[in-house]
Amino acid sequence: MANVNAMLLSFAYFIESSQKYKKIKTFFYNLLENDEYPYKKYFDFFMIFVILSSVTLLVMDVKQHIPKWVDDIDLYFVTTVFVVEYILRMWVYSDVHKIIIEFNEESEYFDTELRLRKLFATIVKDKWRYISSFAAIIDLLAILPSYRGLRILRVLVLFRAFKMLRYTKSLTGFLYVLKNKKFELMTLLTLSAFFIFIAGIMLYVFEGDNKNPNIHNIFDAFYWALITISTVGYGDIAPVTPEGRIMTMLIIITGIGLISFVTSIIVSSFNERLGALREDRVVQDVAKKKRLTVVCGYGLLGRLVVEGLKKEGVEFVIIDNSEEMAELAYKKGYHAICADATQGDVFKKLGINERISHVLCLTSDDIQNAFIAVNVKSLNENIYVTARCSDSEIAQKMECANVNQIVMPQEIAGMMGAVYAGEPVAFDVLLTIIEEKEKTHINEITITEGSFLDKKSIKEINFERLRLILLGVFKKSESATLGEFVFNPSDDFVFEAGDNLVCIGYSTAIANLKGKM
Amino acid sequence: MQEGKNILLFGYGSFGRQIYKHLALRGHKVRVISSTDRAISLEDGDDVEITNINLKKNDDILSLNIDAKNTIFYCAMDRTANNLFLVLTLKSLFVNANIIAISNSNETTRKLKYAGASSVIDLYEATSRRIVHNLTKPAVSRALDEIVYKQNDLKMLELEIPANTFLEGKYVSEINFREMGIILIAIIDKELGYELIFTDHRINHKLDGGDILVIVAKEENIAKFQEKLQNEKGMKNE
Repeated sequence: MANVNAMLLSFAYFIESSQKYKKIKTFFYNLLENDEYPYKKYFDFFMIFVILSSVTLLVMDVKQHIPKWVDDIDLYFVTTVFVVEYILRMWVYSDVHKIIIEFNEESEYFDTELRLRKLFATIVKDKWRYISSFAAIIDLLAILPSYRGLRILRVLVLFRAFKMLRYTKSLTGFLYVLKNKKFELMTLLTLSAFFIFIAGIMLYVFEGDNKNPNIHNIFDAFYWALITISTVGYGDIAPVTPEGRIMTMLIIITGIGLISFVTSIIVSSFNERLGALREDRVVQDVAKKKRLTVVCGYGLLGRLVVEGLKKEGVEFVIIDNSEEMAELAYKKGYHAICADATQGDVFKKLGINERISHVLCLTSDDIQNAFIAVNVKSLNENIYVTARCSDSEIAQKMECANVNQIVMPQEIAGMMGAVYAGEPVAFDVLLTIIEEKEKTHINEITITEGSFLDKKSIKEINFERLRLILLGVFKKSESATLGEFVFNPSDDFVFEAGDNLVCIGYSTAIANLKGKM
Repeated sequence: MQEGKNILLFGYGSFGRQIYKHLALRGHKVRVISSTDRAISLEDGDDVEITNINLKKNDDILSLNIDAKNTIFYCAMDRTANNLFLVLTLKSLFVNANIIAISNSNETTRKLKYAGASSVIDLYEATSRRIVHNLTKPAVSRALDEIVYKQNDLKMLELEIPANTFLEGKYVSEINFREMGIILIAIIDKELGYELIFTDHRINHKLDGGDILVIVAKEENIAKFQEKLQNEKGMKNE
């Protein structure tokens, strides 16, 4: 006994300390259960393919003879895949070794013998919770058709089709709707059962006594009631007496009412779920991106910023707490989520530590912007946060919260207005260049190590020949921010890797230089 | 450097205040006009004299004794409707008025331009461009800040070439502006009408008196350049 104990314990601790085991288990967990894991999709496709082919075989088998080897593949390969999947799911559902360790610690604490029986009971109970879950039962039923002894089991192949629900998220959404509206749907179901019951019995009483040759027993009457109330109306059984017909008219009207009720409940429930479904979709879509900008607030400014970002090819997600605004952004084809950006949830879902690089707080309310900025900074300090602000006092507070950049629309208008007063023509030129109205653009180029500009002097490069005006250079710096600005560097200035050049020139000339990098 | 200009600023709300601040910093002569029906809350440290008039009455505006030819009008009221109305009023009173208006959307910009504003600053568009540039081209936006907005010795300005200078009749390529510490960005040639010629086009442009150069340079180099223009002009005359 003590031997078994010792073995169990050393096994549990060995697993607990093994990095490799953890890595493998996490991998399978992601593959099977984690919707945000990018490769889960491929696994899901594979499973759907397996299921569909297996169902196809079942259908073809009805009329045609299927070669033995195909049947064998169906039997062995598909079954193996399903069994392996079933076992893996059971495995990743919970950690057995943790239970063992917990038990051991408990027994050491109370200085008692490790009670194996209770330990095993706990483990079995833990796994049973998985086995008895709805999805697991479907999985198990889907394996059963492999047993060829019983013909009826063949039909269970259809459970494999059910299994597909697992791999398609939108279908699980439907199940969720049914669950969500359980009460309403149950009420309607009870109501219709009651109507069918009453109508069936009445018809049987009216016409069951050989008046109607099609009604042989009470089951026929119930069958008729269901067919009629559902407005399907095959017509294989039809009432022949006036009493029967009056009742038929009544339950047809009731039936129409019931069906429209059910439809409206399901539709409204879907509408309620639509936001959440869309959010899932957005989260999945952005999961593959490496750098992501989050735009909070889709007002006047937000819209313009988003257009600019799109033009520049920046990946972004819009968050707005108003349903209407999120819908507007969604209709424009952007990734938009209706959520409260002052809470951490939405940022965590989007991957605050993995892919979000910039957050722009652009709502029209300064306090809201400060709130969002602090929220983001408290989740991850390294994210570059830009906040809009209209009050210099609030700007100060934002600076305290380490907001990287504060933009004040009024101040920008003020600066622009002032520059315009002094140098209207120069300003026009500048705007033309910045807004890229003509082909002359302004752009920046970072010198990469070993490129043709690296360690060259300005004289050697000859910007005139490149058809570019070199405005200045930002020297490379150790930190993430830009270094010192050198305006109009002299001919003997030597470039280094990491320097940022700011150039004015034809878009093709700039693209040309960038291409050479 | 260039002397300050006469400026008439309408409105002293959140926009007006900022415009006033920046204009005053650059040494322009600013007169602030505000509508009587709107109370203005002056903040601490605001050192500004405000004339209150009824902007809906032509007589009130005329009573300001405006020299419309040498004045730039700034319409910076907080409400767009007021701005639009003001532009219309000014345009009807002074046909050739140089009016700059603030707008908050594409829609308003269009209306203001139609009403006769010579230039419209689109608030949100400017802001959004700045935000996007900061994200995608950080070096460019910082360079522009250094050159255009910040109060330092680096300046962008326009310079009209007087008649008979050493530049007269020379081609752009013959003059090494860079050696003088000047970056020439654009030329506006009167002969070609007011068209911007960006110097990277490689069209070898011939300079005359009256052409406007748009340059970026340090203040000291600008002064040297202007001095040179003046001196050599004198030499030629003798």
